[in-house]
Amino acid sequence: MRRILCIEDDEVTAREIASELGQAGFEVDWVADGREGLVRALSETFDAVTLDRMLPNVDGLAIVTAMRAAQVDTPVLMISALSDVDERVRGLRAGGDDYLTKPFASEEMAARLEVLLRRRDSAAARDSLLRVEDLEMDLLTRQVRRGGRELKLLPTESKLLELLLRHPAQVLTRTMIFEAVWGYHFDPGTNLIDVHMGRLRRKVDPPGERPLIHTVRGAGYALRGD
Amino acid sequence: MRFAATEDLAWRELWRTATFRLTLLYGGLFAAGVVALVALIYISAAGYLTGQMDAIVLGGARGLSQAPAAVLPARIVEAESQDQRGVDYYGLFSSDGIWVAGNVRQLPGNLPVDGKPRELKVRGLEPGARGLAERLPWGEILFVGFDAKVLTGLRRILLGSLIWSGSIIIVVGLGLGALFSLRPLRRIAAVQAACRRVIEGDLTSRLPVSRRRDEIDMLAATVNGMMAEIERLLAEVQSVGDNVAHDLRTPLTRLRARLHRLCEAWEGAPDGKTTVREALAETDALLIRFRALQRIAQIERLKRRAGFGPVRLAEVCEDLVDLFTPVAEDAGIILTSDIQPVAEISADRELLFEALTNLVGNAIKFTPPGGRVRLVLSAQPRGPRLEILDTGPGVAPEEREAVLQRFHRGRGEQGVPGSGLGLSIVAAVARLHDYRLTLDDARPGLRVILDCWPIGLDAEARVA
Repeated sequence: MRRILCIEDDEVTAREIASELGQAGFEVDWVADGREGLVRALSETFDAVTLDRMLPNVDGLAIVTAMRAAQVDTPVLMISALSDVDERVRGLRAGGDDYLTKPFASEEMAARLEVLLRRRDSAAARDSLLRVEDLEMDLLTRQVRRGGRELKLLPTESKLLELLLRHPAQVLTRTMIFEAVWGYHFDPGTNLIDVHMGRLRRKVDPPGERPLIHTVRGAGYALRGD
Repeated sequence: MRFAATEDLAWRELWRTATFRLTLLYGGLFAAGVVALVALIYISAAGYLTGQMDAIVLGGARGLSQAPAAVLPARIVEAESQDQRGVDYYGLFSSDGIWVAGNVRQLPGNLPVDGKPRELKVRGLEPGARGLAERLPWGEILFVGFDAKVLTGLRRILLGSLIWSGSIIIVVGLGLGALFSLRPLRRIAAVQAACRRVIEGDLTSRLPVSRRRDEIDMLAATVNGMMAEIERLLAEVQSVGDNVAHDLRTPLTRLRARLHRLCEAWEGAPDGKTTVREALAETDALLIRFRALQRIAQIERLKRRAGFGPVRLAEVCEDLVDLFTPVAEDAGIILTSDIQPVAEISADRELLFEALTNLVGNAIKFTPPGGRVRLVLSAQPRGPRLEILDTGPGVAPEEREAVLQRFHRGRGEQGVPGSGLGLSIVAAVARLHDYRLTLDDARPGLRVILDCWPIGLDAEARVA
């Protein structure tokens, strides 16, 4: 079972995280104090850490800095009530892998954590061919085929599909998609991403074919076979 | 070297300082005093010297007039020979004015023959020369004169020293005036710089206070106290707004999370699920609204100029078109763009893009199917201009200011999704950049103009 260390001083938020991640099949260890969190993050092995930015005794930035200094490369999802863009940049620069602003939807948190975990798993596999079921994309020629038939995609659609193919069977939220494809860090509203996804879906999943792009209600999208 | 640091201070500014003017005034008064003093010295000295010359003339005349008539011409010649400086003049004339002896060949015409010394106005003699004419007992006329070379010398010396001291006073006075004025000018410049930082949003900036505690310092200390109070109050107001939004968002987020989990658990029973789903959608709408409110507060908290960098607006526009073309097509609207090459600007790319997505998104949202939305980027003399034109219902002229305010819903948007705060976010971003945001009539429709150059500190022209 995958273990997550949750360093969070707000009990309600911690319970929220534990319950959401528990549902997703994680074992969650909760620590409320910064110093204890740092000790455990350095001494035990976890698959990922969710880290509050502001903690008693040792704050979140110091913890992630110390972890990276000690060569502990466990993925860290920073969670903070400080939502300024500068804060986000500071958190990532200190060694955080992703940054989430409080309050957050728990599906968003779970989706981001999942991506962080898989990123580590697939870091070594740098294939030039991405494939899910009978859908494949050649990263060199940007050619996309479904069951041998070539799909004509616009550049944005191609970027969108590449993102989905790189994270097969993972839920990607609209904010994550907007960040990854367009490179901006604000909430563009749900409709915008849905429209782009709808276009891609019409090309990738034509009527009669088994649908690969799935809408995860309330959360986002996932590309998977079943 | 002291001047080098203040090259930017124009001389005109120097002239305007009180210190400089005071120094010049003191210098002028001092120069006038010196002139008056020198004049006084000259007048008294000239009076004294005239008395001395009169005594010399009288003495000479007395000595000669006591000599017998027969030896007088010889005495005159002797007296002339004793004059080394060429200042003594003698003349002996017969009773009817014919020259008898002496170095004066003719009696000065207007000199009365009464034995009293008078000023001689004769060509060849210095002004102020003295002389007398006296009738001798035997009828001849004796003239004795003394040239005023000493007086002329004194005048020259005094005039020379006046010119020298005068120019030194003027040069030194101007120099000292400039020097004394530079320090207050520099302090005023420092105060101005501090004020500019405050206007730009750095409320923690304070006016410099020196250790001298002079009148500028007293004023600066008072202003600093005032600014500390303003900063405290503003922080309070901001944190209240932010906390309200945050406190409301947190329980809403939790409520949403519970509903979501309930929804997941309810997979079998479709009826309850629909209700919960509606509740979820409701909370989502509320959350979007609060997120937008907090976003405006963040943007308005400024100091975000840290995110400024070079921005190519043409690229931003292309991104926008790329992002919105499918949305427009789905809504049955034709989105076109006219992107001209413009100069790179310094801006916050993220925020600018966020503002523009709001503008283009709004334009598409409010334009009925079959309409058009046009994005125009053009080069104006002072910088690039962005325009978003739509063929929707537009905004009435009297409502154009109000729609930029928070929570104002002006475009009859019942049933239109969104936070209703998009334009407020745009206005906040424009304010942060000091850009002018104008709503105009596109005949028909709305024309939003974003002028991407600083409009300066002109509060009148600012977006309210």
